[in-house]
Amino acid sequence: MFQIKWLWYSLKGYRKFYITALFLSLLCNVLYLTTPYFSKEIVDTYITSENARQNLENNRNGFIMLLVGMIGFTLLRTIMQYSCNMTYEISSQGMIYKIRNKLFERVQNQDMNFYDKNRTGDLMTRLTGDLDAVRHAVSWVFKGMVESASLFVASMVYFFMINWKMALLLLSVTPFIFVFTVAFKRVAGPVYVNLREKLSKLNTDAQENISGNRVVKAFAREEFEKEKFDNSNREFSAANKKAALLWLKFSPFMDTFAHTLSAVMLLGGGMFLINGTLTMGEYIAISGLIWAIANPMRNLGIYVNDLQRFMASSMKIIEIYYSQPTIVDRTDAVDSTERLKGEIEFKNVSFKYGKNEVLSDISFKVAPGETVAIMGETGSGKTTLINLIPRFYDVAQGEVLVDGVNVRMRKLKQLRRNIGMATQDVLLYSDTIDGNIAYGDSSMPEEDVKKYAELAAADSFISKMPDGYETLIGERGVGLSGGQKQRISLARALAVKPSILILDDTTSAVDMETEAHIQESLRNLDFNCTKIIIAQRISSTKDADKIIILKDGRIAEMGTHDELLKNKGYYYEVFTLQNEGFGKEAV
Amino acid sequence: MARNRYDVDEVLETPFDFGHLKRAFVYMKKYRKKMIIAFILSVFAAVSGLLGPMITKYALDHTIPEGNKKELVLLAILLVGTFMIAVVLSNIRSRIMTVVGQDIIFDIRKDLFAHLQKLPFQYYDDRPHGKILIRVVNYVNSVSDMLSNGFINVILELLNMVFILVFMLITSVKLTLVVLAGLPLFAIVMFSIKKHQRRAWQDNSNKSSNMNAYLQENIMGARVTQIFVREEENAAIFDRLSKKYRKSWMRAVLFSNLVWPSTDNISTLVRAAIFAVGLLVMAPAAISLGTIAAMTSYASQFWQPIMNLSNIFNNFINNIAYLERIFETLDEPVDIDDKPNAHKMKDITGNISFEDVTFAYEEGKNVLENVSFDVKAGESIALVGPTGAGKSTIVSLLSRFYDVNKGRITIDGEDISEVTLNSLRSQMGIMLQDSFIFSGTIADNIRYGRLDATDEEIRNACKTVCADEFISEMKNGYRTEVNERGSMLSGGQKQLISFARTLLSDPKILVLDEATSSIDAKTERLLQQGLNELLKGRTSFIIAHRLSTIKNCDKIMYINNKGITECGSHEELLAKKGDYYHLYTSQHIA
Repeated sequence: MFQIKWLWYSLKGYRKFYITALFLSLLCNVLYLTTPYFSKEIVDTYITSENARQNLENNRNGFIMLLVGMIGFTLLRTIMQYSCNMTYEISSQGMIYKIRNKLFERVQNQDMNFYDKNRTGDLMTRLTGDLDAVRHAVSWVFKGMVESASLFVASMVYFFMINWKMALLLLSVTPFIFVFTVAFKRVAGPVYVNLREKLSKLNTDAQENISGNRVVKAFAREEFEKEKFDNSNREFSAANKKAALLWLKFSPFMDTFAHTLSAVMLLGGGMFLINGTLTMGEYIAISGLIWAIANPMRNLGIYVNDLQRFMASSMKIIEIYYSQPTIVDRTDAVDSTERLKGEIEFKNVSFKYGKNEVLSDISFKVAPGETVAIMGETGSGKTTLINLIPRFYDVAQGEVLVDGVNVRMRKLKQLRRNIGMATQDVLLYSDTIDGNIAYGDSSMPEEDVKKYAELAAADSFISKMPDGYETLIGERGVGLSGGQKQRISLARALAVKPSILILDDTTSAVDMETEAHIQESLRNLDFNCTKIIIAQRISSTKDADKIIILKDGRIAEMGTHDELLKNKGYYYEVFTLQNEGFGKEAV
Repeated sequence: MARNRYDVDEVLETPFDFGHLKRAFVYMKKYRKKMIIAFILSVFAAVSGLLGPMITKYALDHTIPEGNKKELVLLAILLVGTFMIAVVLSNIRSRIMTVVGQDIIFDIRKDLFAHLQKLPFQYYDDRPHGKILIRVVNYVNSVSDMLSNGFINVILELLNMVFILVFMLITSVKLTLVVLAGLPLFAIVMFSIKKHQRRAWQDNSNKSSNMNAYLQENIMGARVTQIFVREEENAAIFDRLSKKYRKSWMRAVLFSNLVWPSTDNISTLVRAAIFAVGLLVMAPAAISLGTIAAMTSYASQFWQPIMNLSNIFNNFINNIAYLERIFETLDEPVDIDDKPNAHKMKDITGNISFEDVTFAYEEGKNVLENVSFDVKAGESIALVGPTGAGKSTIVSLLSRFYDVNKGRITIDGEDISEVTLNSLRSQMGIMLQDSFIFSGTIADNIRYGRLDATDEEIRNACKTVCADEFISEMKNGYRTEVNERGSMLSGGQKQLISFARTLLSDPKILVLDEATSSIDAKTERLLQQGLNELLKGRTSFIIAHRLSTIKNCDKIMYINNKGITECGSHEELLAKKGDYYHLYTSQHIA
C-alpha cells in the first residue's frame, strides 16, 4: 500500500485539517443518530400518549422547548456538517494543489529521455484525470470509509450493550460481505488499470489531432482521424462500462446481504421475542438502527471500487512524482555565477542513443567570441552535437568543456543561463510577442525587446502588426510564417545576452536579404558571444571562423571557408551545388 | 473571439439557456426506450422496497405476539424475497443506465471531435490547445451521470413527491398547505445560492481550462524552458494558476455545500411547523392527533425527494458549466465548408487559375490584392519573395484553407469553392513548414498519405526522397516508434518523412512550402533528382529560400506588395535585373 503512504506524506501541512475533518464527520454521524429523538419525544408525549392532550395543556413550554431543540439541533448539526465538508475541501484541495505543483516541477525538469518516452496526452492525463481520482479518494472515499467504520462499530457496540445474542446473530452475516468484497477487489484492480490506459490513449489521440490539425487538413484525413478517434472513444467507453458492470455483478450480492440483516432481525429477533430472550423495547431499539450497520456494509463495496481507481491512478502519478532526471547537478559541481567567457572545447567526444553511436571522437576548440558553423548531411549528428553544450544529454565518452570546465562539473542552471539557443523546431507560447521575446527575462524593458527584435530582423514585421509587440500569437507561433517564427525565436535567444549563442537552422526559412541583416547584427553584438551555427546554406556559414563538416557522427572536414574550398570535399560540393549557374550571368 | 492565452479566461459567447438543455435531450432521445425501461424498473423496485416494512409491521403486530414461528420463518423468507426483487430490478436499471450514460457521452464526444475536424486553422490558432483538449476529454466525462441517471432520478423523485402529496391532501388539506409553505422558502434559498454557485462553477471551469493550457504548453516546450532556465518562473506562474483554480473551487463549494444543509433545515422547520400548527393552533377542534402524526411522517417523506432533487440540482449547476462549453464548441461556426450543392471534383489534370483574387486574414488588411495568374497542368511554379509577403497564403488559398474575399480560384475551370473539400484536398499534396509527426511507427506516419499503401510502396516513396537510408539504419527500421516531440528524429529527417508522406498520396497538384529548408544541400540535390521525375505530370508550387531549389522551375513568381511583381523563367527574370536578380545575386557567395 505504498500509495496510501504516499498520500499521507503528501497531506503534510494539511494533516491537521484532514484529521479534524475526519473527527468532525464522526461527530456529525453521532449527531445524526440523535436527530430522531426530538420528534419521537413529541410524538410519544403529545400525540400518541394516552394523555396527550393533558400533557400539552400542562406542559406547553416543554413542547415548545422540544420544537426549539429540534430546530436548534438540526441547525447545529448542519453547521457542523458544513464546516466538516469545508475542512475536507480545504485539506484535499490543499494537498492536490501541492501535488500538482510538484508534478509540474518534475515534468519541467526532466531530461530528453523522459520526453522521448512519455506522450503529451499521457502526461496531461496524469495531471488531470489521475489527479482527480486522488482528490476523489481523499475527499470522499477515505471519509466515507471512516464514517462507515465508525458508524458500524458504534452501532455494534450499542447492540451488544442492549442484547448480545441479537448482536452476535447480526454480526454473523458480515463475513459473507467481506468475502465478496475481497473477491471483488482482486478482479477490479486490473480493470481500473485498463480504464486509465484508455483514458490516456483518448487524451493522446485528441491532443495529437489538435496539435497536428494542419497536417490533418492538408491530407484531407478528417475521416480517418474521426475513425481513429472513434476507436479510442469506443474503447474508453467500453472500459468504463466494463468497470461499472463488473461492480454491478458483485453489488447485488452485497446489497442482498445487507438487506438480509433486516430479515435476520425479523427472524432471529422474532424468535427471541417469542422465547422471551428479547424485549419489544430492545427489538425496536435495534431494528431502528439496523441501517447503521447495513449501509456501511453496502458501501464497503463502493469504496473498494473507488479505491481501485485511486490505486491505478495514483501509481501513475507516483511514477512522475518520484521520477528523477538522469542529468542533474553533481554535488561537487563548480559554483560560479560569473558570466562565462564562452570558450568551448570538445575532447574526443562520443555519444550514443541506446546502442547507436551518433557522435564519435569529436574534438575541436572554439575561442571566446568566435563563430563556428556546423554543416553536414541530414542525420549526421549536428543537432546532437550542440545539445551536448547545454548538457541536454551527457556524453558517452570524452569531455565537453566550457571555459575549461567540464559541463558535467557545472551547475545546470548556471551553465544554461550563459547559453542562448534557437532550436530547429520553433516553439513559441500563446502569449504576446513581447512576452515571447522576453521569455528569458520577463522584466526586460520594452526598448530592449525592440532592440533584440531589430537585431533579429523581426522589428519590421512586428511593428506592422495591428497591436505591435502586444500582438498575441498562438501556440507554436501559428499565425506567423515560418521565417517570422524563426526570427522571433532568434530575438528570444539574443535577448538573454548569452556568452554562447547556438542557432540550429534558425534562418532556413528566412529570405536572403533578411539573413544578411541578421548576420550583420550577429557580427556586431554589443556583448561578447561565441556563436555556433548550424545551417544548410553556404551564405549562412561562409564567414565563420571555423566550419565543421560532420559525416556519420565524425568530423570530416574542419577549417575556414577558403581552406575547405581548397579541400574539395563536402563543403566544396555544396558550394558548387548552391552556386551553379553563377559566373555565367551574375558574375 | 479574439486570441486567447493561458492566463485569460475565455468569454462565454452565449450564456446558458434552456435551449441547451433541449439540445442535451437530443442526445438522450436516442436512448429513450432504454431509459423508459430503466424508469419502469425503478418504479417497481421502489414499490417492492415498500413491501418490506409492511411485512415487518405485520409480523410485529400479529405473528410474533401469536408466537407463530412457522409464519415468522415464512415472513422472513418473503422479506428476503422482496428485497431480492428490489435488488435485481435496480441492478438491471443500473446496468442499462451505465451503458446509456457511456453511450451518450460517446455520442457527444464523437460529435464534438467531428466538429473540431471541420473548424478552420483560425480556431486552433486562436486559443491554447490545452483548452480545446480539456473540453473533448474531461468536460465530456463530467456530464455523463447528469444526462443519464440524473434525468431519471429527477422524474422518479418528482413522481415520489406527487405520490406523497396526494396522500397528504387526503389526510389534511390545511396541514398540507403548511408543508407546502416550505417550498417558497426553499425556492428563495436555492435561487440565491444558485446565482453565486453558477458563476463560481463557471469561473472554476475557466480556471481549470487556463491551468490545462499552461500545462500543455510547458510539456511541449520543456526544452525551451530548460535552455532559458525558466523553471522557477514557470513554476511560479503555474503555482499562480493552480492557486486561482483552488480558490475558485473553494468558492464554488462554499456555495454548493450550502444546498444540502439549507434543505435539511427547511425540512426540519416544516416538521416543527406541523407540530406547532397542528397542536397549538388547530387542536383540538379541527384535527385528530392521528392526523398530525401521519402528517409529520409524510412531511419528512415529502422532503426527502426534495433534498435528493436539490442534490441533483447541485450537480447540475456544476456540470452545466461544462455542458455549455461543449455546446459552445459545437456551435463554433465552420467558415470553410462544403456548399450545400457542392459536388465531388472530377479527377483533375491540374490547370490552375487565380482570377482577380483579393484576400485578408483580418478585415481591411489585404495580404493579396487582385492577383491573377494561370498555371498549365504539369508546370512547376516557384514562389519567392520576402517572408510574410503572402507566398504561403497563395498556396493556402489554393487548398481552400481560407476562402478568398474577392475573385475566384479555379482548377480545370472549376471554381474550388463549388466542390467538396475532401475531393479537392485529396487530389493535392501539401507539405507544410511544420512537419508534424504523430506518435506511432515511422511507417504509420508515412502511410498517413495513403492509408492503403503497402510496405513496398512506403519504402519506394522513402527511397525517392532519400529517407530510406536513415530509416533502414534504425534498430527497428520502419517499425521504429516515434512521437510528436521526440528527439529521435532530426528536423531534416522529419521533413524527409513528411515528404515521403506527401508523395505517397500521389497528388495531381503538389505544394511544397519550405519543405526542404532543414535538409542539407547534398541530400537536397539527390532529392531533387528523384523529385524531377516525380514532378512530371503534376502541377507543383514550391516555396523555398534556397534558390538552387527553385531555379529549375518552369516559372518563378516574385511575390511582394500584395501581389506578383515579377513572373517568368529563371533566365528571363535574371535578364530583367529586377527583384529576383537582386535576390539571386545576394545568394551568390564566391
